[in-house]
Amino acid sequence: MTPQRPGQRHRHRHGRRLSARYTETSPTIFLLLRRMRAPLIVLIVIFSVSVLGLTLVPPGMTFFDAFYFMSYTATTIGYGELPQPFSGAQRLWVMSTIYLTVIGWTYVVGSLLALLGDRTFRQAIALRRFTRTVNRLREPFLLIAGYGQTGQLLGRALDSLGRRLVVLDRSSERVDSLDIDAYYADVPGLTGDAADPRTLDLAGLEHPFCEGVLALTDDDETNLAIAMTAALIRPELTVVARALSPAVEHRMRAFGSPTVVNPFDRFGDHVRLALHAPTSYQMMSWLVRGPGAELPEPGRAPASGRWIVCGFGRFGHKIVEDLRADGLEVTIVDVACAEPGVIVGDASDPAVLERTDPAGAAGFVAGTDNDTTNLSLIAAARRHNPGLFIAARQNHRASAPLFEAIGADWVMVAAEVVSREIYAQLSSPLLWRFLREMPARGDDWAQQLLDRLQAHCGSRLGSVWKVTLTDAETPTLGPWLAGGDARLGDLVRSPQNRDRPLAAVPLMALRGDETVLGPEDDFSLRPDDQLLFVGHPAARRSLVDTVTNRAVGDYVLFDRNVPAGWLWQRLTRRVPHAG
Amino acid sequence: MSLEKVVFGFFVLLAATLNLGFFIGDISDPTLHSVYELFAAVVVSLIATVLKFGDRTQIGAVHLATSLVADLQLIAAALMWAYATQVSSQGLDAAATAGVVSLSGGALLANLVSVALLVIETVSFHRR
Repeated sequence: MTPQRPGQRHRHRHGRRLSARYTETSPTIFLLLRRMRAPLIVLIVIFSVSVLGLTLVPPGMTFFDAFYFMSYTATTIGYGELPQPFSGAQRLWVMSTIYLTVIGWTYVVGSLLALLGDRTFRQAIALRRFTRTVNRLREPFLLIAGYGQTGQLLGRALDSLGRRLVVLDRSSERVDSLDIDAYYADVPGLTGDAADPRTLDLAGLEHPFCEGVLALTDDDETNLAIAMTAALIRPELTVVARALSPAVEHRMRAFGSPTVVNPFDRFGDHVRLALHAPTSYQMMSWLVRGPGAELPEPGRAPASGRWIVCGFGRFGHKIVEDLRADGLEVTIVDVACAEPGVIVGDASDPAVLERTDPAGAAGFVAGTDNDTTNLSLIAAARRHNPGLFIAARQNHRASAPLFEAIGADWVMVAAEVVSREIYAQLSSPLLWRFLREMPARGDDWAQQLLDRLQAHCGSRLGSVWKVTLTDAETPTLGPWLAGGDARLGDLVRSPQNRDRPLAAVPLMALRGDETVLGPEDDFSLRPDDQLLFVGHPAARRSLVDTVTNRAVGDYVLFDRNVPAGWLWQRLTRRVPHAG
Repeated sequence: MSLEKVVFGFFVLLAATLNLGFFIGDISDPTLHSVYELFAAVVVSLIATVLKFGDRTQIGAVHLATSLVADLQLIAAALMWAYATQVSSQGLDAAATAGVVSLSGGALLANLVSVALLVIETVSFHRR
C-alpha cells in the first residue's frame, strides 16, 4: 500500500519539486490588505480630523477624552456627551464628524464585503484551502483528473474501499458537487485545466503520498497531456488513462508504461467473451462491480449469425472488428462513411433499414453517438424482427432509464466500462490478473467456480481480498508452511469449528509469476504465495484471526487447543506450534 | 513620475519629521514636547503603514515591518501619555515625559530606517 520507494524519497530531498519552478502566489492576506488600503486611509483621516477638531473647539478637550468620545460615537455606541455637556461649538463640530465617520465606516465595511464576494478573491481562498488540504494528506491518495461520469463512478467505488482521492476538473460545477456527494473521506477538489502541469502539481502530483494518476477527462488530448506529465515528472507512479482513439493510445504508451483503457475496445472484448463464454462473462461482470453487488442476470446469450451494426464511428469500427474476428457476418450502416461494403444512409429511415434485411439477422448494434437515434433504431429494428439480440451504446447518463425501458440486451456505457475496468485494476492487481486469465479456462470451469461462489456468498458479492503468506502478514503459518504438507483446504476453516469450511472461495494463487486459477482444497501452499479470496466479510476476519493469532492458528491448522495467554501456556505447558 | 510614489514618499518622510519634531528637546521637560505633534506623528505613521500594505517585494515587506514597529512605539507613547494625564496621581511629571519621549525616540529610529529604505529604493530602481 505504501507508495514510497527508497529512491523516491531520496530524489525528492534533492528538491526536484516542480512547484519551485513557479512563482509563489502571495498569501490571501496580502490581497486583502492591498484592496483595503484606500478605505483604511480614509477611516484614519476621518478619525484623526474628528479627534483633532474636538481638542481644538472651545472649551477644548484633552486628546484622551476626544479619542474616547470619538471611539464610542463613531462605532455608533453613543454614551452621550462625556465628560461634561458640550458647548454649542462642540455640538456643531460633533454633528459634522458623526456624518463623516458614518461615511468612513460604510466605505470600509462595504469594501470588505465586496472583496469577500469577489470572484478572484474567493478563488484565491479556495485554491489556498485546496493546496493546504492536499499538502496535509498523510495517506496514499489517487489523483483523479476529470470528474465526469467516469470519474464520479470510479471515485465513489474507490472511496468505499477507503482510498483517498484528490479531484481535478475543468468545470467548477462538478468540483462543487464533491461537497454534496456522499463520500466517506474528505475529497479535495480543484477547478482547473488538468493538462497544465502547474495544476497537476497543485493537486499533489509531486506529493510523496500520491500513488497514482487517473486521466479520465472526455478529451483524448488532455488525457495524453496528463499521462505525459505524470510519466515525465514521477516516472514511478501508476498512470491510468482513458483513450478513445488508437492513435492517442499509441502515443500514451510512448511515455512510460501507463495503463490505457479504451472503452470501445474493452466493450468489444466483452462482446466476444459473451459470445464464446457467457458464464465467464457473467462472473467477470459480477466481480468488477465491487463489494455488495448482486449477481447479474445470466441474460440472453448473444446469437451467432449475421449482425447489423448502425453507426460506423470509432465504436462501430471496434465492434465490427471484434465480430468479424469471430467469423461473424456483419452488415454496416452509416450516415456518412463511404467505405466499400457500408450501406450509406440513415438507418432509422425505413427504406435504408429494409436494405439490411433485419428479419434475417441475429444481432443488432445501435452504436451512433446520439442516444435518441440509438433508441429509435432499436425500436425500428424490433418491429422487423422481435427476436433480435440488441446491443446499444448509451452516451448520456440521463438516458439510462430509457435504455432500460426499451429492454436492450446489452447497454454499453463508456463511463461504466472504464470505471469498472480501472476499479478492478486499482482495487487489487491480483483480481485484475484473475480477470484477464479467467476467460482462457472455458465456460464449464467458470460455471463451477460461479456455483462455488454462490454456495459460499449467495448472490451478493462479499469482499475481495488478498493474503500474502509471509512472516509479516501471516506469522502463525510459518512452521505449517515449512512442514511441506500445507493444504489450502486446511487453512480455510472456521475458527469456531474446524470441521466447517469458511465462507470464502480462493479465486487465484500466485506463486512467483505463475498463477493457479481457482485452486482446489488440496492445493499445496508454499511460503510467499499470494492468495486472492472472495467471501463474506466475516470470513475475512476469521481468516485474519487464523493467520495472526497463534492460539487460533493452532486450533485451525493442528486441531490443538492452546491457551491464548502466556502465563496459562507456561502453567499448562501447552505452547502453540504455530509460529 | 508617479503620484503614488510622491504620496508614499511624502508620508514616510512626514512620519519621520513629525517624530523628530516631537522627540527633540530636553527629554524630561513636558513643555518642550507638544502632544499635538505626538498625535500628528501617530496619525501619519498609521497612514504610512496602510500605504505599505500589500507590496509583495522584499523591500516592501521590510518597509511594512519598520512601519509596524514605529506604530507600536508611538501608540505605546500615546498610551503612556494618557496614563500619566488621566490615571497617575503625579500627572505629567518629568519621569512620565521622559518615558513618552524615549518611546517616541525608538519610533524615530524605525522611521529613519524607513527613510533609508526609501532612499535605497530610489537609488537602485531608476525605472519604477
